[in-house]
Amino acid sequence: MLEIKNLHVSIGGKEILKGLNLSITAGQVHAIMGPNGSGKSTLSYVLAGRAGYDITQGSITYNGEDLGALPPEARAAKGVFLAMQYPVEIPGVTTMMFLKSALNAQRRARGESELDAIGVLKTVRRKAAALNVSEEMLKRALNVGFSGGEKKRLEILQMSLFEPKLAILDETDSGLDIDALKLVAEGVNALRDPARAMLVITHYQRLLDYIVPDRIHVLAGGRIVAEGGKELALELEAKGYDQIVKDAA
Amino acid sequence: MKTALAPARREQAASHFRAIGIPTRRVEEWKYSDLAKALGDTAFSQDTARWKLGKLPAGVEMFDLAEANAPDWVRTHLGSLKETALSAASLAYADGGVALRVTGAVETPLEIEFSGKGNLRALVVLEKNSALTLVEKANGDDQRNVGVEILLGANARLHHVRIARANAAVHIEEVAMTLARDAIYNAHYASFGATLSRLELDIALEGQGAQAHLSGVSVLSGEAHADITTRISHAVGNTQSTQLFKKVAGGKSRAVYQGKVTVAQGADGSDSRQTAKALLLGDRAEADLKPELEIFADDVKCAHGAAVGDLDADSLFYLRARGIPESDARDLLIHAFLEDAMAGIVRSDLRDQVRAAVNEALAS
Ligand SMILES: Nc1ncnc2c1ncn2[C@@H]1O[C@H](COP(=O)(O)OP(=O)(O)OP(=O)(O)O)[C@@H](O)[C@H]1O
Ligand SMILES: [Mg+2]
Repeated sequence: MLEIKNLHVSIGGKEILKGLNLSITAGQVHAIMGPNGSGKSTLSYVLAGRAGYDITQGSITYNGEDLGALPPEARAAKGVFLAMQYPVEIPGVTTMMFLKSALNAQRRARGESELDAIGVLKTVRRKAAALNVSEEMLKRALNVGFSGGEKKRLEILQMSLFEPKLAILDETDSGLDIDALKLVAEGVNALRDPARAMLVITHYQRLLDYIVPDRIHVLAGGRIVAEGGKELALELEAKGYDQIVKDAA
Repeated sequence: MKTALAPARREQAASHFRAIGIPTRRVEEWKYSDLAKALGDTAFSQDTARWKLGKLPAGVEMFDLAEANAPDWVRTHLGSLKETALSAASLAYADGGVALRVTGAVETPLEIEFSGKGNLRALVVLEKNSALTLVEKANGDDQRNVGVEILLGANARLHHVRIARANAAVHIEEVAMTLARDAIYNAHYASFGATLSRLELDIALEGQGAQAHLSGVSVLSGEAHADITTRISHAVGNTQSTQLFKKVAGGKSRAVYQGKVTVAQGADGSDSRQTAKALLLGDRAEADLKPELEIFADDVKCAHGAAVGDLDADSLFYLRARGIPESDARDLLIHAFLEDAMAGIVRSDLRDQVRAAVNEALAS
């Protein structure tokens, strides 16, 4: 589904990703771990299409298509979803109205019929209840004044609403209490599907107890430096990144 | 104004205006709005501009300033408040206008419309404990100078919504206002610009507990110019003022906000907030925001701020990453930017009217 080859990405002339290779097939869940500043969020933003990230070399192929050439909204319509590490607060736009606009924009782009307000409301309410997102939050301005955990739950609510084909979760577990972590993991696991791939970025092995990955990649210095099965997380926990990076060299 | 204004007072106003004339940009308060240039050689004509009132609700008395036999309340108050050179001009040269007196708590909004060219005067008197919602429309592509005086008696409430739409016009409106004890003035000014439009307010909070809450939106494009200049004086203690102005400027337009709040000596317990923000949508658009604060009292709460910027790139990306196309995402953010300034409009029907005008301006 996703094939990243020799990806080099610069921000403002500074190279952050330096020859990254990664591929995920449909139905799989992969995890990316790596030290602060190693380029994990950069990778996730590049996949989602944020401006200012220059692909200087290499390619990103998504279902046979060059992803790098598409604007963010087209990627979303084609099923790419990024749960952001720092969801943006947008005063003046209510959460519910945002969800409806986004859902219908994606449907329109795919040539599907738009859902009416009541249809959206019902679906959102049902999914929100499962994630403990209150009715009151849906009425408030998007992410404004939400706690860290509430913002992350709203990201997952969006994922479950948009039903993406490729979901990238950038540290969705950071800032979550144990109960919220379980809820979020359940939400993610519920979306596991043979037609869907997920890329989970995390610092904590704990999350991977709940969302068991098929493969773990270690990202350091803008490259994948180690790969392995779910046991790699335990090894990382025990040895730390420094040692793993050295072992790999 | 045959009987409403004493000839001596009229002559005094004329000489006031003659002494100063049409302000040029060398006058500090007119630095951002070049009135002399916008008017060209014509100055304001000697004509009297027109006014039109909606159906007069019970509890409101009206006097046409062009008529004879002005009642006492008109003679007492007309020309009684602070004047600028331009409001002196409308007082001296307008041959008509409208005076309103409110004696009860009026529910139905009263609509007032100004049009045509020349000078014009309006007087609005709210007696104590009375209430009115005034919806003002300023239309027409003319050169017009309107002078308005508003007197709010003790515990009176005026809800004022002004919608100003024009193209090739020069519209000046000079409002002088005084508020007695516990009176509340709640206003929203929506302006969509003109060759030059300026709304200037001089608000005196003269009774304890008086409050003025001003908000406004401006949506400008092309070469439109809209200026809102406010002066609020907290003359006594425990008075409140809030101001929230949001401006969206595209093309080569220019949005101006100048706001001066003065808290007099001894006006302790006064509370003043002032925010002006502008969103520039064109490289050649300009916003001049100048909040100012002068405090002579000790125990006051005052805050002011101004910011000029572009649409927030992170917000734009967030919306697009969720599938919302760029132009829709921009629209959503522009509306969101203006929203809190419109939220202050008390009546939902008027809020909807302003929203509709904003939508229309944004769509064009
Ligand atoms: N806009 C930017 N301009 C310049 N440098 C940037 C910019 N964004 C990120 N970087 C740099 O790129 C590097 C990678 O950042 P990134 O956010 O991808 O790291 P990360 O792996 O997600 O870290 P963390 O675990 O702390 O979230 C860092 O050195 C960071 O300072
Ligand atoms: Mg990160």
